[in-house]
Amino acid sequence: MAATRTSTTISLPLASRLTTAVFSLMLGVFIIYGVGLSHSETLHDTAHDTRHSYGFPCH
Amino acid sequence: MLVKYLLATIVAGLFAGILLTPAMYVRNVPLILHAEEYENAGGHEHSHDAAAAATEAAPAAVAPHEHEEEASPALPFGRFGNTLLINLVAGAGFALITGAAALFLGRRITLQNGIYWGLAGFFIFNLAPAFSLAPELPAMPAADLATRQAWWLITVLLTAGGVYLIVLRDEIWAKVLGIALIVAPHVYGAPEADDLTSSVPPTLASEFAVSTLATNLFFWVVLGTALGWAIQHYAQSELDA
Repeated sequence: MAATRTSTTISLPLASRLTTAVFSLMLGVFIIYGVGLSHSETLHDTAHDTRHSYGFPCH
Repeated sequence: MLVKYLLATIVAGLFAGILLTPAMYVRNVPLILHAEEYENAGGHEHSHDAAAAATEAAPAAVAPHEHEEEASPALPFGRFGNTLLINLVAGAGFALITGAAALFLGRRITLQNGIYWGLAGFFIFNLAPAFSLAPELPAMPAADLATRQAWWLITVLLTAGGVYLIVLRDEIWAKVLGIALIVAPHVYGAPEADDLTSSVPPTLASEFAVSTLATNLFFWVVLGTALGWAIQHYAQSELDA
């Protein structure tokens, strides 16, 4: 068990990974846009402290 | 669709987002609150205008942010609740992006190498943009918001490309091009305000820049390690299939 080494590559072909990768990326980008960049006032005021703390341009 | 993989990344992101919240409250949030005292004492105008106007009559000694919450259109969970919520969501967002990058590249995030994925995320999303565009406190002078956001976004994209070329490609031209991509936005320069006069004391600003970078380093190290752990424990079977 201790000798088991985990591979750092994925053997799964790209075609099987692509859908998940694209979906995951789009969802992630959508979320980060809302949290960090959107000009919506509700989002800005709710995310205010996180935006400043994270170093997103704010105000 | 690799559902287990997606769920594992989201779990890791939520976990890192939870831990980020108390970490932010050690230094960053107190510094933001301190700076807001200067902001509401007649500093720069920005999107808090309506809130600031509503509290104009209030004595400056009373913590101004509490009044601000009442007038602002923020979600109604209070300052701490809102920040916790946003950190959870942001953690999941950064985790999804990191997990997607690993999938695209055919790389596996593990408990052992997770910290390196985290350090790469920190470098791409925090350290590189902060090198020319330091994390700002409220009421600090700054250039046009949209211009700074565009610069931030372009810097993040170029740095991500640069890190890929340097770390994951063996060719010498890739390493040279990678360095060029990372350096380029800083040579071009971040947008800067015309007038740098600020009502916020410089000591607060420098303390904030360092404390936010340290906090975000912590966040990314936790996120990378948690991603490796969660993917190894919950999504291994999917990736080996």
